[in-house]
Amino acid sequence: MGSGRWSHDAYDAAAAYRARTGRDAFDYDAGIRASRRRQDWTAHPDLDPYGVDVRESRDSAEHPESLAVAVLFDVTGSMGYVPRRLQEKLPQLFDLLLDRGYVAHPQLLFGAIGDATCDRVPLQIGQFESDNRMDEQLGRILLEGGGGGQKTESYELAAYFMARHTSIDCWEKRGKRGYLFIIGDELNYPRVYARGGNAPVTGYDRSGRRGVAEVIGDRLQDDIDTRDIYAELREMYDVYYILPSGTSYAGDRQVLDHWRDLLGQNVIELDDLDAVSETIALTIGIGEGTIGLDDGLADLRQQGSTAGRSVERALAPVARGPRDARDPRDARDPRVPRASGADRGGRVPVARRSVVRRGNTRGARWV
Amino acid sequence: MSPAEARHVIVADLGFGDAGKGTIVDWLAGRAAATARPARTAAVLRFNGGAQAAHTVVRADGTSHTFAQFGAGTFAGVPTLLTRHTLVEPLALAREAAALAALGVPAPLDLISVDRAALLTTPLHAAVNRAREAARGGAAHGSCGIGIGETMSYALDHPDLALRAGDTESPSRLRRRLLALREWAATTIQTLAGAGLPGAGGAVPLPDVNELIRAYRAFARRVRLTGAGELARLAAAGPLVCEGAQGVLLDEWRGFHPHTTWSTTTFANALELLTEAGVDTGDVCRLGVTRTYATRHGAGPFPSEDPSLAPLLPEPHNGTGRWQGAFRVGHLDLVLLRYALEVCGGVDALAVTHLDTAAAAGDRLKVATAWRAGGTRITRLRPGPFADLAHQRRLTDLALAATPDLTAPGRSWPGLLSGELGVPVAVTSWGPRSGDKHPPTMDFSPTREDRGRVPVP
Repeated sequence: MGSGRWSHDAYDAAAAYRARTGRDAFDYDAGIRASRRRQDWTAHPDLDPYGVDVRESRDSAEHPESLAVAVLFDVTGSMGYVPRRLQEKLPQLFDLLLDRGYVAHPQLLFGAIGDATCDRVPLQIGQFESDNRMDEQLGRILLEGGGGGQKTESYELAAYFMARHTSIDCWEKRGKRGYLFIIGDELNYPRVYARGGNAPVTGYDRSGRRGVAEVIGDRLQDDIDTRDIYAELREMYDVYYILPSGTSYAGDRQVLDHWRDLLGQNVIELDDLDAVSETIALTIGIGEGTIGLDDGLADLRQQGSTAGRSVERALAPVARGPRDARDPRDARDPRVPRASGADRGGRVPVARRSVVRRGNTRGARWV
Repeated sequence: MSPAEARHVIVADLGFGDAGKGTIVDWLAGRAAATARPARTAAVLRFNGGAQAAHTVVRADGTSHTFAQFGAGTFAGVPTLLTRHTLVEPLALAREAAALAALGVPAPLDLISVDRAALLTTPLHAAVNRAREAARGGAAHGSCGIGIGETMSYALDHPDLALRAGDTESPSRLRRRLLALREWAATTIQTLAGAGLPGAGGAVPLPDVNELIRAYRAFARRVRLTGAGELARLAAAGPLVCEGAQGVLLDEWRGFHPHTTWSTTTFANALELLTEAGVDTGDVCRLGVTRTYATRHGAGPFPSEDPSLAPLLPEPHNGTGRWQGAFRVGHLDLVLLRYALEVCGGVDALAVTHLDTAAAAGDRLKVATAWRAGGTRITRLRPGPFADLAHQRRLTDLALAATPDLTAPGRSWPGLLSGELGVPVAVTSWGPRSGDKHPPTMDFSPTREDRGRVPVP
């Protein structure tokens, strides 16, 4: 190697590692943007929630005590560069959980949330995976970058899907809730709409809106109140909301209050996107009781993150006592294992889930 | 147990390197679903050495690549894990990925995972290495010029400051460690230039830390960095092939000191990693690779060397190295093979390569059954206490003084080797391609009455 060679090497290496060959971080995204008009954009088939019965997190011989962890993030324009940064950082989450011994058998699912009123692809949900090749799921996420600009995104559709179309062994076999993180910066729509289209207008334009019927394919009798769907979701998952600062409504009282209203204390403000995986890992570690809050916050500070304060706020109630004692809902007997997809009786009284799954109800007329 | 019965295979070279580990790993990695082993190889693990490895694999269409940091299973589509025992050179890794992409491997960087604990070799190490070689003048060790040795010695001297793959994830840690490294490089080169011969390069500008940071940050974002749990996950996912670098006779503690490499070339590292990952070592096949004749690339003792064989034994992939020196050939040396088996704790099976070359050379190839030195006939070398370099130096002196007892092999090479060493031959190689191996797939296993470990004769 000649004396001046290293400089070229360093430059070439940096360029090669940055090259978008093979895998732009979101390579499905790059491919589809290049190849189709916007109105033809669709979710990658592996991520399309339409017609999906359940996404399962199952125990196996290798992973006898699986723990379901879902991370859903907002990919609309209001979040700007954030989705890309999340994609760089989130693959570390798996190793963090394992290497720090927070969780022995995590199974991770990634998903992306858009706006069902004006996005082509309002919801993308991957599979629960228990190996390190998380990037594949992340890589297939289409970053539409749209969003409505009206301060609402279809988080509640994602909550509906997670509540009624996932089946997780940690909860069903062991009565142990999974973890669900929603990363975003806007509000929920007030209701999970059964279907879009010809319903009365309620304060904003619903003409382009698509509901559960169009996005997920379930036939619901009625809309579901967003509060109810979150209540239902929180039986199965510990749900946390993470608000990255520096996004469009970050720090916004209204957004924070809205989410605190839905999730109580489980709202975390994150000032440093680089610490997103640490924050999530730490939240899980403390929730699992494998790490004390103080040690965890010290870990976080070492990372140079100042998310510690809001993590502390979010987790102080968790860290003070064992997980079972902090929430009256835990006092209930865990339900007996159900066959996946069976009717989940004993839930919050909301509209029943679909009875019939039609092969294709897209574009069907609802009367 | 033979590689067909074991779940995981560790491949090590029983000589001075260049026996053909690459083609054997490629053949192992290509175990497809059609064989008796339905599980596809989960990964190729590198467990020693760094970017100085050179494992050539020739594809069916004749194109070839000499693998340095990518595992030799890459053409078979098998991902590589660079474990904590390897030294990673990110700049060279990028170059190698580009070369593989040019050969049609889709997104080669997707196939690489690096343990965060692996040491990084940088141009700063290489600069010190070159300065040191220049200062040695005629007494150059013949290093590869990458800085492998400097990486190791710096890490031993500054365990807290050594740059590791995981440091690239944190800009501040990366900068601090690179600055410390640069300072060390500048002082060392200064000292060498002061003490050394004229012409020792002190005037060469040192690499710029900011440029390196840019490159290493890009590396961290692009390449999957893994932690301690990765290996257990891979082992659960499917069979592993552990690809050794160099050869047992170059081992840092068991080789012929000082003509050794900076790493443990026996099965030890791989067995340690697999044990940590919870793999039952009874489920592992230790596969020793040897040619039917002996080779040595670079300086050092070589009792059975016979330069007159060189024209008969073409060597398409190993020329005279700019740094290593000449490629040397000689007769098969059973004394050295027995020593290699002894210091690496025995093998479960042999892979015998270059049978096509041997067939072409005909009866010119002999076997060294013993050495003669100072009127004594030596058939075995005694391994000394572990890490006793004085003992290793005595072995070097003995080997330099020895002359070989050459006899005709009198039977087929695989038969001779398995008979003399007491180890079954699992695979023979009649050419550089995967299809030149016999048996063509792994589901063939020679029947054997005894299933235990084979003691060294």
